[in-house]
Amino acid sequence: MQITGMFHGARLLQFVGFPATEVLGPGASEEEIKSLIDRHGQVFVKPMFKGGIGQKGKAGLLGRASDLRTALAEKERLYFAEHAVGHQRAKANGVTFEAGVPARHEVYFSITDSTRFRAPTMTLTHRGGIDIEEVERRDLAVVPFDPLTGLKAFVVANALSEIGAPREIISPLVQQLPKLWELFHDFGMTTLELNPIRLREDAKGRLLPVACDFKCGFDRDDPRWARLGLPAHLFTADHSDFEQEINQLRTHQGQSDVYVVNDAGTILAPTFGGGANSLVTEMLGDAAIISSDFGGNPPYEKMKEVARICFRHWLKQANVLFIIGGKSNNTDIHETLRAIADALREHVGLHGATPLYVVLGRGGPNLVRGMAALRDTCDQLGLPYRMFGFDSDISQVIAYAKQADAWMKAGGRAQLAAGLGLSETA
Amino acid sequence: MQMNPLQKQGVGDFRYYVGISSLAQIATRDDRVCVLNILGAESSEVTPVGHAWSGGNVVFGTAPGKGGQALATAAGDIPVYNNVRDGLQAGHRFNCGVVYLPPAAARDGVAELIRVNPQLKKVFIVTEKIAVHDAREIRAMGQQAGVDIFGANGLGVADAWNRVRIGGALGGDAPGDTLRPGSIAIFSNSGGFSTTIAQYLRMSGWGTTTVISSGKDVYIHYAAPEFAFALANDARSKAAVLYCEPGGTYELDARFTKPVVACVVGRWKSRLTRAVGHAGAMAGCEDDARAKERWFMDKFGVDGIFTPDEPRFSARGALVTNIAHIPGALMAVMRANATLPDFEPEGSLVLKPWFASDAGLALPASLALQVVAPAAPYGAQVEQVNRQVGGILPRQAMKDASGASQMDAQTQLGSLYGVSMLQAATLAFESLVKLALLHEVGDENDRRLVATAVAAHVNLHGTPALAAAQAAREAGNAPNAVIAAAVAIIGPRCQQGARDAARLLIDRFAAAGLKDPVDEHFDLGKVEILGCEGLVGAAPDARAQALLAALDARGAKSVLLRWLRALPGHPTANAVLAATTTTLAWTPLMAKRVSRLTAESLPWWMALFGTLIGASAPGTRHHDGHFCGFDDAQLLGRCSLAETAFAALIGLPPVDDDLFVFQTLFGLLLTNGPGAISAQGAKGAVSADGPEAAQRVQLNKALVGFLTHTGYAHGGNGYEGIAFLNEQFRDTRLADPGDPEHGIDLAALAWRTAQRYASYKAERRSIGSTDIAKLPGVNHPVFKDKPVNHDPREVFIAQLFEQRGEHNVFHAFYRALVQALFDAGVSRNVYCVNVDAVIASLLLKMLWKRLRHGEVAERDLETAAFTIFLYPRMLGCAAEIDDHLNRGRNMDTRTPASSCRFVA
Repeated sequence: MQITGMFHGARLLQFVGFPATEVLGPGASEEEIKSLIDRHGQVFVKPMFKGGIGQKGKAGLLGRASDLRTALAEKERLYFAEHAVGHQRAKANGVTFEAGVPARHEVYFSITDSTRFRAPTMTLTHRGGIDIEEVERRDLAVVPFDPLTGLKAFVVANALSEIGAPREIISPLVQQLPKLWELFHDFGMTTLELNPIRLREDAKGRLLPVACDFKCGFDRDDPRWARLGLPAHLFTADHSDFEQEINQLRTHQGQSDVYVVNDAGTILAPTFGGGANSLVTEMLGDAAIISSDFGGNPPYEKMKEVARICFRHWLKQANVLFIIGGKSNNTDIHETLRAIADALREHVGLHGATPLYVVLGRGGPNLVRGMAALRDTCDQLGLPYRMFGFDSDISQVIAYAKQADAWMKAGGRAQLAAGLGLSETA
Repeated sequence: MQMNPLQKQGVGDFRYYVGISSLAQIATRDDRVCVLNILGAESSEVTPVGHAWSGGNVVFGTAPGKGGQALATAAGDIPVYNNVRDGLQAGHRFNCGVVYLPPAAARDGVAELIRVNPQLKKVFIVTEKIAVHDAREIRAMGQQAGVDIFGANGLGVADAWNRVRIGGALGGDAPGDTLRPGSIAIFSNSGGFSTTIAQYLRMSGWGTTTVISSGKDVYIHYAAPEFAFALANDARSKAAVLYCEPGGTYELDARFTKPVVACVVGRWKSRLTRAVGHAGAMAGCEDDARAKERWFMDKFGVDGIFTPDEPRFSARGALVTNIAHIPGALMAVMRANATLPDFEPEGSLVLKPWFASDAGLALPASLALQVVAPAAPYGAQVEQVNRQVGGILPRQAMKDASGASQMDAQTQLGSLYGVSMLQAATLAFESLVKLALLHEVGDENDRRLVATAVAAHVNLHGTPALAAAQAAREAGNAPNAVIAAAVAIIGPRCQQGARDAARLLIDRFAAAGLKDPVDEHFDLGKVEILGCEGLVGAAPDARAQALLAALDARGAKSVLLRWLRALPGHPTANAVLAATTTTLAWTPLMAKRVSRLTAESLPWWMALFGTLIGASAPGTRHHDGHFCGFDDAQLLGRCSLAETAFAALIGLPPVDDDLFVFQTLFGLLLTNGPGAISAQGAKGAVSADGPEAAQRVQLNKALVGFLTHTGYAHGGNGYEGIAFLNEQFRDTRLADPGDPEHGIDLAALAWRTAQRYASYKAERRSIGSTDIAKLPGVNHPVFKDKPVNHDPREVFIAQLFEQRGEHNVFHAFYRALVQALFDAGVSRNVYCVNVDAVIASLLLKMLWKRLRHGEVAERDLETAAFTIFLYPRMLGCAAEIDDHLNRGRNMDTRTPASSCRFVA
């Protein structure tokens, strides 16, 4: 859950009173844009992407204008710009007009939780405005600090003097930067980055830090970010319908983490436990439809609802229903398998039979009772199955599921369909 | 860079506080534990297990508002206090805290532990999904106080040497099964896999020292660097296995001095565009799976991953990406260190399915793995579960719900176990019996078995049931009450013998592996005879002989009957009946589509069905040796149930197409879904007996429930239609309703009827009455909005008879009538001819000639119309009874008082 750009960033910074450059959104009128240019001389025109995607400047996705006509031309060029970095692809929907801030200094600032120090850590350099990786080490301050007392002014001051920052920026930064800790800590962020902060001279010659870009990430498990009143659609773009349905079931009583690996996949694998999730997703690759972790001892009703949603979206195309986890420590296997079996039976009752090879690999309390419940349902539905306990190597069980899928693809599915009295093309 | 001058000084040269210097200190017999939220759902399952295994290490727990309670364990009760301070004041002392609080409360729980107990040294946080915000503060508090924290989102720790477990469910509900003392320490980001890895190691001959489940939140409070340090200082541990997920630079900073097998899983997570699990660092630090793999390869001085095909390792360690390769890698690394496993391998991890089915498919050998009996105690459990015969359905409230019947709201077609009423109208009565109780229509052999079994109970001569029915009849009761009187007598004891025999037969033949109940080649020797003495008697049993003769006459086949006859002695009547019904039930029973109880109840059902049919005939028709013109041998050995029912109903043998009409009616009337009043009565009777103790449900009483919930409006209203038709046709010269040349001007007749009705309506309106009787057989609340309406059921039946070339003047009259009503302006559009009209037409057609000839009186029409509803509906309700018995909950048909209204 990330936010990039000053359209929202400027508003968030207002919560803690940190100065930000003037920003207009995509709905700005021409009068407003002209006024902005008149007052500041130059505006930046930036495409608005959902989530976090970087390296826009390098990709030429940054517009500059000192007159209205250019500004509007840049708006047209960038409004629906497409951008790709690595595996990430994004399409913009709108532009912002951000006042250019003439500055003698550009500062990079970020806070994140560092696993090296096991503490919130500030990264600060007066050589801002460029990629952080390109800054020389001696110009970069990386400072962990105590979250119970927060980012104190003296910590900022010490850091700036250690890297030899110009003296005139120390006082303004020391006054303003600690506010950002409040934004970070009290509103559920896990990362916050302002690059650059420009120091602008006022009429009396004093320097004021002004944020000119904004990037932050939120912690899904922290309700504090709801205080910010951000529109929900900002975070739903990256979820499919299926993922959203399942995520609505998210409570601390058992996970319901899921994401779609391949919506044309053929193995539907409800998985239990983070470790199993990693291994299964790795080994199944694109044969898998989803990557999931439904562990944590979910109660019967929740597990059944999760299964029902999965089946509704994916069962028809699946060749293999692969229920897999390690030897559970506290999940009641009978409850979870009974819930899945009942959901399967009900789904078939509603939507009709479907050719499906069922594979189970699991261990834990009430294991045999759970297997029996699943077995009975498979017998009643006429489905083939193999059920493995914790005494079979889990990676071989995963390989078995893949083999079953391959066999189904090679004509097995048609055979099974015929046996079930369905007319199906393989 | 020193972070905080307040920070306590610990061991090692870490940038932060670490208190533990050796793995041997992590979970010791001296540790005393306090569990926060000890009575929560998870802790109440998990804490007693750990406590008992550890020799009783939990001194108390907290649960706000529940002070004074206790958590029972096999090692004694653990006292519960409202908060930590109360527990300390009561005199308890502890050095370890376990946090089972929900995410929003976990941080404050840690604060409480630290502030209130100066002796606190270790905290284990099981809670998942703690906000990073809180995790930061938890860390800082621990650091300030000099307390080691484990987790969060972890399963705690366990020590196999000390036999101590603190925190969560490491090792499951029997830690000793997994944790055997040895020389390997385990550190895992995955809770589940911490146990799995210990299991894998044990199977390949390695025991464990300390197992740590670290969790994999953004903050891992006790992480790889500290673990490496403690490992170095633990004399018991010769090596370690690490299981690592992407995120965080923990492993980079770990300095290992002993051999390590590292399993890094999660390369695919680099493809994610949003974090799953760890938050990636934005400040440019690479910590994905491949980065971690590189760190470990550097540490071990290897250039690749260890796999069985390419075993790359060094004396310092090996890297795997598949947990199954851990044992192999460990073996190689330890051999390079001249170290042998701790003990003999305890097993192998080869694929061994515990349950399997090919579902009749031709699977390749690689998939068609055979079942393997697992080690104790699972082997015995599997065996027990395999011995279970028949299906078991989950129980739920079954008020207004049915797993047997459905009504399609659009077509108004009922169906029973997937067979629509229109289809059922083409099936024999015997097939409907099997459908109702065994969920499938069955075959010719099944019909022969059913016919015999039911027919054996039809002749009630000399029985109290008949006397009761006759007394009820003479007292002027309607057919349902008359029959109910007889059925009420057929109580549990009547058929106990046959049901016990059925139970025995099921046990014996299931054990013998019988699959096809008519398999001529089945080896009868497989069936255990011991204990079956009760199935035979010394002297011949006349009733049994009659049954067997009848079955032979019909040509019915059954492995069970064949076996029974081969037994020394003479089969009892109960045994023959049980063998007959169990044969019927066998295939669905073995396929787990019906429950064992249903199969065992079949003898009782057959008796009830026969009694119901028999009781519908007046006492004068029951004689010693014959019933309604058929002698007993014919009844049992030749007649179809339709014939028998017809004879009971009319008192005369059927002729021509009577039986076809009869059969059609049966199908149409079989069920109207669980909402019909008759079904509600049946279900209510089951619910009141309490289906959760299904053995106690009185099937006969449930059928009485069905009977009492039929009446003149529901079930008996077929009479209205007949009376109406009779009135219209009484003055005509109709001789044969089936003759297309009947010579009656139907259009004129219909016109007259329409006119009469129109004036009747006008008259009622003119006196201001809203009480206008409806014409029976026309219109329907669903099929009404078109210019010309049709009830699809009526359409189907009309087509059915047309195909047979059969004519029914009454049906034709109805069609003329709806047109006439429209023409006369009585209806705004053309009404449909509804299914009640069809029933009335069919019934009257059957009875017309006999009525005209005086063989049947007009008053008998009402009884016949009523009874003809009862025969098929008996089966539909039997299906509901059986369904409710298997699936329902006690008293589930009750309506709560809040849903009831008082009407002044």
